[in-house]
Amino acid sequence: MMDFTQPQWVKHVLFHPFEGFEDLRWKKGGTLKYTAIIIVALFFALIAYDRWCGFQFRPLPDALFSVMPYIMQSVVYFGAWVLGNWAICTLLDGEGSMKNIAIYSSYALIPFIVSRFVDVILSHFLVQEEGIFFTVVYYVGLLWTVALLFSAIKAVHQYTFTKTVIAIILTLAAMLVILFLAVLLLSLFQKVYVFAYSIYTEILYRVRV
Amino acid sequence: MKKQWLRQIASAGMTLAMSLSMVASTMTAYADEPYDVYNYNYLGEAVPSQAGYLAERAVSGLDLGTTALNAPSDLFKDASDNFYIVDTGNNRILKVDSEFSQVLDEFSEFTMPDGSKTTLNKPKGVFVSPDTGLMYIADNENSRALVVDSMKNVQLEITKPTSTVYDQELTFLPQKILCDNAGNVYIVLNNTTKGAAMFDRNGEFLGYYGANSVAQTAEVIANHFWNAIASEEERRYRARSTPSAFDNFDLDTRKGFIYTSTSSGSSDNDIIKKVNPEGHNLFSHMSNFVWGDEFSTWYSGTNYKTKIVDIDIGDDGTINCLDATTGRVFQYDEEASLLFIMGATGDQVGSFTAGSVTAVETKGANCENIYVLDSIKGAVTIFSQTVFGEIVHEATALYNGGYYEEALKPWLEVLKRDGNYRSAYLGISSAYYNMGRYEESMEYAKKADSSRRYNKAFESYRSEFLKENLTAILIVIVALIVVWKGFKYYRKKRRKALETASPTSAPTDES
Repeated sequence: MMDFTQPQWVKHVLFHPFEGFEDLRWKKGGTLKYTAIIIVALFFALIAYDRWCGFQFRPLPDALFSVMPYIMQSVVYFGAWVLGNWAICTLLDGEGSMKNIAIYSSYALIPFIVSRFVDVILSHFLVQEEGIFFTVVYYVGLLWTVALLFSAIKAVHQYTFTKTVIAIILTLAAMLVILFLAVLLLSLFQKVYVFAYSIYTEILYRVRV
Repeated sequence: MKKQWLRQIASAGMTLAMSLSMVASTMTAYADEPYDVYNYNYLGEAVPSQAGYLAERAVSGLDLGTTALNAPSDLFKDASDNFYIVDTGNNRILKVDSEFSQVLDEFSEFTMPDGSKTTLNKPKGVFVSPDTGLMYIADNENSRALVVDSMKNVQLEITKPTSTVYDQELTFLPQKILCDNAGNVYIVLNNTTKGAAMFDRNGEFLGYYGANSVAQTAEVIANHFWNAIASEEERRYRARSTPSAFDNFDLDTRKGFIYTSTSSGSSDNDIIKKVNPEGHNLFSHMSNFVWGDEFSTWYSGTNYKTKIVDIDIGDDGTINCLDATTGRVFQYDEEASLLFIMGATGDQVGSFTAGSVTAVETKGANCENIYVLDSIKGAVTIFSQTVFGEIVHEATALYNGGYYEEALKPWLEVLKRDGNYRSAYLGISSAYYNMGRYEESMEYAKKADSSRRYNKAFESYRSEFLKENLTAILIVIVALIVVWKGFKYYRKKRRKALETASPTSAPTDES
């Protein structure tokens, strides 16, 4: 029963939002290798959505493109989510390990990624007046991912419905705290770097004179 | 010895060449403009651009053969291209020929209907009716407006209305004046926010016309709420939301619209209005449109913000706005898309004393000349259209008239001279669209960053593509379905064959 290969696990999880992650947990399926692939795919999906859509649907002028926001929205947000969820749920008697949280959450992101790519393809065939199809695909992907993410957190920690809701709200708060600290740390390191560099230049001047 | 002789000749030649070139540079009418020419791209960034106008010369009162102008405050061009300069400080109005070479007439004393003489006292505005040739003067410190014929006989004197609609506590100090095609007279006063005072052809007060509106900001809405629940007594001491008053206007003689301009620094809406005879603002949908410079500059505690003091509608419908802060003229076409920016603050020809420019006028069927009046310098600066300006005007006129295909050639020429000129991309896109060249239209719409226009071209491109390739597409779809079905059938058969071969072995999957 349920002797799936890894690709079959992905398929099973995607199309069984209520039981999929439970099965994955009991059979100890899922691999971090796929998580890495999915996050990279997320990064490219976000870029593709802003850059490769048909021009009639492109939200962003080319001149304003910068790669940093996309790294933020994929790698950094996901990292903060995993870290925040692990930190919160360890305190809330969650059973998931950090590895499992990363794996399950990343699997839940697949509909979102796919919907972005489908939108990119669709946008080359639709005109603005038919944009409702474009929007529907977008929101179906989004809602599907939200539902899967919920189910993933519920399964990985073996929570009840209410506890999952609370855990997710706290996780979002934890993400904010983590990002805030990250910004703080970054600016601190920058200051340290500037300080070190100015000492270096000072010494250089002294040596020369 | 010979060498030295050669050197002497060479140096003499050099001096001669230099002096010649100096003479030449003083002689050329088109010197380099004393400012960087720029325009705005689709992101609202200032980008270098080609000059549409160059400052040709500045004309003072002495150049015109009369005494120096003293704080002139208005400039007007009549239907036969004669100019009127309101020389406020000297209490006179000068009529100048269209080339600004001589004074044709000087208006300072008029005969009243009863035969007595009357003079002006700090006149601020003048208007000459294209239909009747009557001259309308805003005689500011005499608290009246005069309607005068060409023989300097006063036909009508408009004084403070006695009507109860006009608040009798207010003074009556006319700033600017004009007369519409129906003979109604409009007077801008500097002490009311209700709009311009409107009089009929007999001088009867009709009411106010074209007031600015108050922008619905959060503060205004909150004020409105508190006023609603406050008592009568409290209400009297509360801040009121009043619109800023417009302080200049011009008549579009071709279409009968009155354009108003507001120089108030405290208001961002209704800076330029296009008012129809009913008093409605046809630009009201453009509340987010920024007239003048996109951004104001903060410099040592002062905010240098666009302050439009005068507006002029050219004979081709262009809207020319004069910014007193930077001394710049912003020229828009009739659809309010920016054509050119010229002028600066400074002392060279083509630049002005900061805050002292008072009037702008245009001349010519294609706006060949723009005139700017500087009240401190007491001079009129004449800008002339460049070749680039000519091409842009030609293209815009064709484009706004709906002749998209005819506008293609001038637009392409514009792009050759200035690749940053966004309207050109839009114009070319529209032209190709009308010619059925949808792919090129899409390409240029993309370059202009107009997704709306791209969408239109793409829609036509798609339907044309479908029409031409429908059979091919259907064949491909059918072929794909057949291949898919065949593949499924093959897989099913193969699995069955495997199962019958070894019924106990499950499909071998790695765990």
